[in-house]
Amino acid sequence: MIPAVRSEFRKFFTTRLWWGMAIAIFVAGAAFAALFGFLLTSETARSGEAGVPTGDATQVASSVYTGGLSIGYLLLLTIGVLQIGSEYRHKTISGTFLATPRRLRAMLAKVVALLGIGAVYGLVSLVGSVSVGAVVLGLRDQDAFPSGTIVRTLALSLLVLGLWALIGLGIGILIPNQVAALLIGVGVAWIVEPLIGFAMSFWEFGREHVAQFLPTSATNAIVNAVSNGPDEVRLEWWGGALVLAAYAAVLAGIGIWRTTRADIA
Amino acid sequence: MTTTTGRPGGADSGRIEITGLTKTFGQFVAVDGLTFGVEPGRITGFLGPNGAGKTTTLRMLLGLVRPTSGTATIGGRPYADLPRPLESVGAALEATNFHPGRSGRDHLRVLAAAGGIPDRRVDELLELTGIPAAARKRAGGYSMGMRQRLGLAAALVGDPQVLVLDEPANGLDPEGIRWLRGFLKHLASEGKTILVSSHLLQEVAQTVDDVVIIANGRLVQAGPMEELEGTPGSLVQTSDAAALAGALRVADVTSSVQEDGSLVADTGDMRLVGDVALRAGLPIYGLRPQRADLETLYFSLTEGTNRNLGDGAAPVGAPTEGDAVTGQEGANL
Repeated sequence: MIPAVRSEFRKFFTTRLWWGMAIAIFVAGAAFAALFGFLLTSETARSGEAGVPTGDATQVASSVYTGGLSIGYLLLLTIGVLQIGSEYRHKTISGTFLATPRRLRAMLAKVVALLGIGAVYGLVSLVGSVSVGAVVLGLRDQDAFPSGTIVRTLALSLLVLGLWALIGLGIGILIPNQVAALLIGVGVAWIVEPLIGFAMSFWEFGREHVAQFLPTSATNAIVNAVSNGPDEVRLEWWGGALVLAAYAAVLAGIGIWRTTRADIA
Repeated sequence: MTTTTGRPGGADSGRIEITGLTKTFGQFVAVDGLTFGVEPGRITGFLGPNGAGKTTTLRMLLGLVRPTSGTATIGGRPYADLPRPLESVGAALEATNFHPGRSGRDHLRVLAAAGGIPDRRVDELLELTGIPAAARKRAGGYSMGMRQRLGLAAALVGDPQVLVLDEPANGLDPEGIRWLRGFLKHLASEGKTILVSSHLLQEVAQTVDDVVIIANGRLVQAGPMEELEGTPGSLVQTSDAAALAGALRVADVTSSVQEDGSLVADTGDMRLVGDVALRAGLPIYGLRPQRADLETLYFSLTEGTNRNLGDGAAPVGAPTEGDAVTGQEGANL
């Protein structure tokens, strides 16, 4: 298992993708920290009007530090899709299964590697967001580290990125065309899901019992971001983590199960 | 039998055994009850027209495709049950199995990591296959010959006892083919089992010891190359073919008079033919060995069986049947 995991890490770090992604995720972390740092501490935000994102000092700081995650998890989704999609596309999957013919082991190595890559990129994102965000919050006379909850949030953001990478892995297997998988994965996460969430807000049962289980809502719950309005129903952080982990487990699980049985031609 | 392997595990560790192997895709029977063995220390040519089922057979042997029925084992075990597969079996399947953005050397390092093989082996192999400098560039720009060499290096990463090569001569220039031929003979002399597929008999005729010929997923012929070539003959030009035939018959050599007045004696011993002619007082204008025409033989065995022709499914760059017939002057493996 350990050799297979090493091999997966090498696959990832021997193409140019990794540092391009690292730069993007760092910049996103820093830029969103600056943006949210100013927006969430503005007069309008403090007024508590309906429709304006609100939260206590901890939630504000959490949002500032994890603002870049909305870009970051899409990048990790992409990495997850590519980690398997490029193997199909360039037919390196044959070599992978020749070296590790126990396919379940080969695929679990991908899972472990993607969780690791998620954590590494999470750290890169946090280096950008915490350094910039703390400065901005300081400038606005806000407490940069209002409670210990922040530490939990930061740690969990590493897990969030890993779980999104696993969702990508599942999508990458279930949609063998890499480009289609990327478009559908990112499209659903960034466009379809917010639209569904918006539609839910007009439907009482959906708003109270469904919306919080959507992957993006679950992600927001994990990192304890500010809420979009007083009506928003939100899971506890651990509930969000379980929901997102369930998405990752189901998608990656179905994908892996299919891969272990398929003919590689 | 030349089955000395010089390795722990005994002579059987490198034997490939295919038994009743069958694969159907829906209604289509790609491989149909195939049974043959491949011996260590010998180069076995696995031949058949495009679409005969060669690649599917090799992929079943390597555990990439699940057989509908039958078994394929290496040293008595299915591929997936080999404890350290890269150190038992090396496979080069297609020359396109590289990520274009990853260097050839990194491609090998990825494989080496998965097999628990030290990185220095990677650089050894790049030297051995003659591509140490080019392998540091990204694989996207490699020529077909480079890809074939890199594929061969990948197959050898674990210094395996068994080599399975799918069309390794495709895209190689004459110099590359000559290099490959010598390389394979060297590996076979180390006692390795080498199974090499090709859709052209002439491509491998000079290299292989054994042949397995399939068509439409079924076995057509399996055995030593000499058996396929049949009894060697001698073509004699003389003044009176019938008289020489009579003289040869006395020496226990059968022969047949050809339409053009020459004689084909069923022996490869040309000295004997010459001596008989001298004793009979017949002049010899020409005397040369005559072997069975492999090309004709191969096509008679596999004729009209290329089920891929006509549906445009033949891989790009693969020679067509017409090329194969007229390509006699081409470099042979």
